[in-house]
Amino acid sequence: MAERALRKLSFPRYAEYNCALKYITEQALGCKYVMPPVLTRRTMELGAKHSPEFVCTPFKTVLGSMIEALEAGADTLLMTHGLCRLGYYGELSDQILRDLGYQFEFINLAEYDMSRKKELLRVIRRINPKVNPARCLAQFMEGLRMVEYLDEVTAEYYKGRGFDPTGGYDRAYRDFLTAMFTARGRADVEQGYRAVKSALGSIPLDKPAQPLRVGIVGEFYTVMDAFSNLEIEQKLSDMRLEVHRWMNVTNQFLHYNGQRNMHIKIADLCAYEMGPTATANIWYARECAERGFDGLIHIKSASCTPEIDVMPVLQNISTDYKIPVLYLTYDAQTSDVGLQTRLEAFYDMIAMRKKVF
Amino acid sequence: MEHAYLGVDVGSISTKGVIIDRENNLLASQYIWTQGNPIGAVKELLGLLEGQFDKTKYKIVATGATGSARKLVGTILGATMVKNEITAHAVGTTTFYPDVRTILEIGGQDSKIILVENAVAVDYAMNTLCAAGTGAFLSSQAKRLGIEVEEIGDYALRSTHPTQIAARCTVFAESDLVHKIQMGHPREDIIAGVCNAVAANYLSNVGKGKKILSPVVFQGGVSKNKGVVAAFERALGCKVIVDPNGHLMGALGVAILAKKGSKRQEFDFSVENMDFRTREASCGQCSNHCEIICVYRGDELIDAWGNRCERGERVH
Repeated sequence: MAERALRKLSFPRYAEYNCALKYITEQALGCKYVMPPVLTRRTMELGAKHSPEFVCTPFKTVLGSMIEALEAGADTLLMTHGLCRLGYYGELSDQILRDLGYQFEFINLAEYDMSRKKELLRVIRRINPKVNPARCLAQFMEGLRMVEYLDEVTAEYYKGRGFDPTGGYDRAYRDFLTAMFTARGRADVEQGYRAVKSALGSIPLDKPAQPLRVGIVGEFYTVMDAFSNLEIEQKLSDMRLEVHRWMNVTNQFLHYNGQRNMHIKIADLCAYEMGPTATANIWYARECAERGFDGLIHIKSASCTPEIDVMPVLQNISTDYKIPVLYLTYDAQTSDVGLQTRLEAFYDMIAMRKKVF
Repeated sequence: MEHAYLGVDVGSISTKGVIIDRENNLLASQYIWTQGNPIGAVKELLGLLEGQFDKTKYKIVATGATGSARKLVGTILGATMVKNEITAHAVGTTTFYPDVRTILEIGGQDSKIILVENAVAVDYAMNTLCAAGTGAFLSSQAKRLGIEVEEIGDYALRSTHPTQIAARCTVFAESDLVHKIQMGHPREDIIAGVCNAVAANYLSNVGKGKKILSPVVFQGGVSKNKGVVAAFERALGCKVIVDPNGHLMGALGVAILAKKGSKRQEFDFSVENMDFRTREASCGQCSNHCEIICVYRGDELIDAWGNRCERGERVH
């Protein structure tokens, strides 16, 4: 009886963050979380089929994932707000799914002002009126801690993975993800985190004194989601590169105190705020250049206006610091042959440069 | 016996092969059409190269493969070096033109720009989602105008008032071009306009934001088109070098890389008579449905690729 009363909430697949969403839904909000299936070509086909042609690729992926979540039994979908077109995507996907005939409740965070505590409480009450706010808050913070751990471990993983001859990095990271996706309490989260940290720390890396380092910047969804960027971080680390990416949920939202002060550091490069992630991307690109990285990779989905605006600034950084930038545009393609060619050439180029300069 | 090195470049449109000696002199070279059959084209290419090659004096000790079919061709040839075409072109060009600063390249369906400093590539760009302004556009427009693609250059050079053609997008360029034809613009002017459009499109797409410094080397199939060369010279305001072997530069580059590489594997021309076959298998382990390509020599599976995870390995 009680089982039936539980709301079955879902949020589309997004990199590996669904483990934290599951944790928050189940532990903090007292609902059941429906895990959408892993993104595959089918997700993309479903999403692309029902999307407007010129919308950006993340919309298509997310819509496909929502359909798969509904197929898996979700009765409530949650959608985030956003600072670019993303802000309208909740409404649009709601409408498309209704036109397709799906019945569900749609909670669109864009309709709430999430910076105000009162509004946040309204959302929580809507999801589950019986929730105890104090317990909810404690578990919510635990979920955010999981996000922090996930981002920290992921960054360490891609930094070292290319220099691990044993395959231990891959195993430790996989086990860590399993632990996070199945965690039911603080102890599970902490244990999973400690296990992966000690595993990664104990693997001796076969790393040259001056490894090749690349920094990745770009549009919020595609830069982080391995399915969407055709596993670019795996591919790069397979070539024995140190892969650095600042952009993640922790840095952008949890530790990063808005874009309030970062723009001062790049005031000489751009005078205006240009989009949801532009300031951070420009700042980090220059940071990489100043730290003597060997290359930058800029990732965006086709027609992403804020990131198109970032490109001329990156070209200036490229000229000023003599750092090559590889610009990649992703669409709904699932073949990675062209990407592999470009990455191999980029690798050859920065490796040869390093020898000569 | 002196050592020689084979380089094969199999692109979407054409298949190129060279054999060089230790001093990078050409011993044999050939350029043929791929015609959608890379395996057949490579066999034909090898037959033609074998005919030009003095087997009593030289032996091939290393083999390189490049171009979009490099993986397949590399497997078939047992290549000691498999390299992407961007690196191969950069290496080939910088070997013959050590002081080059900019390499422009327009092929059948892709175009790229490579910036060079001290004979090392320092930056490059390649067209991503769109093949506008490449060889495919030129050949389809030549067909529309009823001339051979090889004649475009001569027609273009005869023009004194090139027609303005919108260069941003191939589809728009084509409708603009049809409109200008129907308005009565002379054919020479239209063709010169098309050449200008190709150069303008290139410079505003792949060349965007790149500092193009002289010496400039232009290669790829489209570099054989004198009209486009002239258009580039006008737009850049400097001389554009076109090597007589520019169309072979990828094959030359990968032959040089094979020579520099550490692996050695003697190559005889016996693969010409072997039977190669590919089979596509679709992995049903998850809804990704990875397309796995299996390559067979006779009945023996020699390589497979395309699966994204270990589960796919059960398929072949």
